[in-house]
Amino acid sequence: MPAKGMLLSSSPHSFTQISTSRLMLSVIIALVPATVYGVYLYGFSALALVAVSIVSAVAAEYAFRKLIKAPTTIGDFSAVVTGMLLALILPPTTPLWMAALGAIFAIVVAKEFFGGLGANPFNPALIGRAFLLMSFPAAITTWTMPNGLALAADATSAATPLALLKQGKALSDVATYFGASDTGAFLRQLFMGYRAGSLGESSIFLVLVGGIFLILLGVSQWIVPASVLGSTFLFAWIFGMNPLIAVLSGGIAFGAFFMATDYSTRPLTPLGQIVFGAGIGFITILIRKLGGYPEGVTYAILIMNVVTPYLNKLRVKKYGFVPPVKPAKPSKEASK
Amino acid sequence: MTAKTFKGGAHPPERKERSSGLAVERLRDVKQVVVPVNQHFGAPLQALVKVGDLVKRGQKIADADGRMTVPVHAPIAGIVKKIEPRTQSNNSDGPCIVIEALPPPAEGQEAPRPEDLVDFLPPLDAFACTKDDALARVRAAGIVGMGGAGFPTHVKLAPSKPIAMVIANGAECEPYLTIDERTMVERPEDVVEGVAITMKIVNAPEGVIAIEENKAYALPLLEKAIASSPRTRAGMKIRAQLLKTKYPQGGEKMLISAITGKEVPSGGLPMDVGCVVQNIGTLCAMVDAFKEGKPLIERGLTLSGGACAKPANVIAPIGTPVSEIVAAGLAQVNAEGIGMVIYGGPMMGVAVPSYDIPVQKNTSGVLFLDAEEAKHFEEETCIRCGRCMRACSCRLSPALLAVAIEEGDYVEAEKIGLLDCIECGTCSFVCPAHRHLVQRFRVGKQVLRAIKQKEKEAQNAR
Repeated sequence: MPAKGMLLSSSPHSFTQISTSRLMLSVIIALVPATVYGVYLYGFSALALVAVSIVSAVAAEYAFRKLIKAPTTIGDFSAVVTGMLLALILPPTTPLWMAALGAIFAIVVAKEFFGGLGANPFNPALIGRAFLLMSFPAAITTWTMPNGLALAADATSAATPLALLKQGKALSDVATYFGASDTGAFLRQLFMGYRAGSLGESSIFLVLVGGIFLILLGVSQWIVPASVLGSTFLFAWIFGMNPLIAVLSGGIAFGAFFMATDYSTRPLTPLGQIVFGAGIGFITILIRKLGGYPEGVTYAILIMNVVTPYLNKLRVKKYGFVPPVKPAKPSKEASK
Repeated sequence: MTAKTFKGGAHPPERKERSSGLAVERLRDVKQVVVPVNQHFGAPLQALVKVGDLVKRGQKIADADGRMTVPVHAPIAGIVKKIEPRTQSNNSDGPCIVIEALPPPAEGQEAPRPEDLVDFLPPLDAFACTKDDALARVRAAGIVGMGGAGFPTHVKLAPSKPIAMVIANGAECEPYLTIDERTMVERPEDVVEGVAITMKIVNAPEGVIAIEENKAYALPLLEKAIASSPRTRAGMKIRAQLLKTKYPQGGEKMLISAITGKEVPSGGLPMDVGCVVQNIGTLCAMVDAFKEGKPLIERGLTLSGGACAKPANVIAPIGTPVSEIVAAGLAQVNAEGIGMVIYGGPMMGVAVPSYDIPVQKNTSGVLFLDAEEAKHFEEETCIRCGRCMRACSCRLSPALLAVAIEEGDYVEAEKIGLLDCIECGTCSFVCPAHRHLVQRFRVGKQVLRAIKQKEKEAQNAR
């Protein structure tokens, strides 16, 4: 003694079984239902889009890390998550090379340039989408009707419910457009997800399944999604829009459960998270109501990402907090 | 009874089943003890004996003046062989008194009479004597907090504020350790008596014995002991309270909030919310000190871990090298399989290079972890998942605190609450990236204290 291989280290000497890669893997599993439904709606070209986006993201991270001679990090699966998320918020007909470009931009510029996992101030997948939207506005705003497992070439272009509403169409007309008999049936249809839209965002039901799965596993928490959806509902109502349609359409639900909850870019404190979510809902409705785009979740989250470091100052009171006694000012000056 | 608890915390694997059913065994005929001179939190002591001296069991061998001092006594009768620095259980060298037991009397020689070998204090009735006498006895018996911190008990029992509640800390939230559990099962009457003595000294109207749900089977035993205690019959109010099994439930602050709903103010002490918290072992040591006049010269501890083929709960003289307990066969250790030796529990204990290090007044257990249990991980980058934020029992935002410390922003670190960290290690335990959070806070605390000290000196110089 001391025997060989006897470790010396500072306590604690016990560690959780949960690892970064396991957390990321749970997110991937949570995204599977929405992905499968997207493939069901838009055919195997959608699957190709997801695959290309994931492979590009992982390859970009691997190559960049090699280039800067840093240890490889693709084993934590965070690049897979970014690639998957990006594909799910793109129109199903996005050209594959475009998706690849978006994924590479997301990983290299939005994530690795800032120091990689945990250090990026903006959600990489959303940066990827914003980049593509600015570079190729036509392609990223071309939507198609769900056409089952047929080839994408057969797809008929269509408008999203939000675009139609933006054009000033009545809700009943929008319902008819998507083949629903009345508004109630249309709301149910929106919940189940048969509508034009991004690859993985349309089914609120499956987004909820994935989101609640993550919350039950303790991978993400309910505060951010609840705050986002609650404020979207509230502000839509205040601005005279149909609050149910506001929550069920567009990318708000997907954004609430999978984008706004992104570890690196959301505040860490509960109070910060509430404000963060409320801000996302508010900006989303503001863009939908007054902005140039029919949908604003992407920018709403990116804008709130900017203020995350400040929202982290909204900490809960520590155990045994005692309000500081302010020294009387005059006496302080007198001592000088 | 509904189990109470605090907010936050974590559930490290308990692994108590290995030793929870094993009765406490006494280690006898120790040949040599190595007694550290300083075993308390406070000012250092002076050795009162010199090499070659014959010491009796229970004789005071080190002491000093001053309030924050607690004497040390000879755990066995024998000859002082050496007084020299040795490695202690906090992994640093400190002065130790090495006592060798007297050899058995040779043929024809008369065996020494017991009174020549034992030097205990006279018994004292804690309920008949004055408060000052009782406090003097607690100090004279060398009693310190036996849960780990080693805080002088006579100081804790002389609070400057009124005390409403005495809490016996039977949570034992550290994994593996079962010595408090065994003590409560085997000596419930003494635990109750210890609470009563403490209540008498601090003049508290209520006593609570708190235990975690994982040892709920001990609750009826405690309740029976409470009901049959002459103290409760005389009107003292003592009860047992079940707590949820969660780490760090046994932390003083967490225990107090779980039971009273009050929070110990930042920078304050339990007495600020009218509480005194005592470890189970400490209570029994107090009972012994009054009833038998026996100083704190031995203690119970758990020996366990994956590399401990035969775990055990033992009572060993203070100063016994742990390797002696193993050599005596009370516990068996698979020496080749040891990945790590820890004095204390796996969450807050100290990893040491050798188990020759002696048992101290605050050694609640010694763990022999196998390679699998001792597995350590490479630190990865923080993914900001926030698990530490939710687990921190002090609500300190560990992720943000770590960033502030890394940036050298100690103003922000202090604002977040660096000095309030109880170093329980829950944040490091739950971190999926295995960040060395609590380790950074320990270093950060020292840096911050140094900065504050400097500021103070600069101010005084002005």
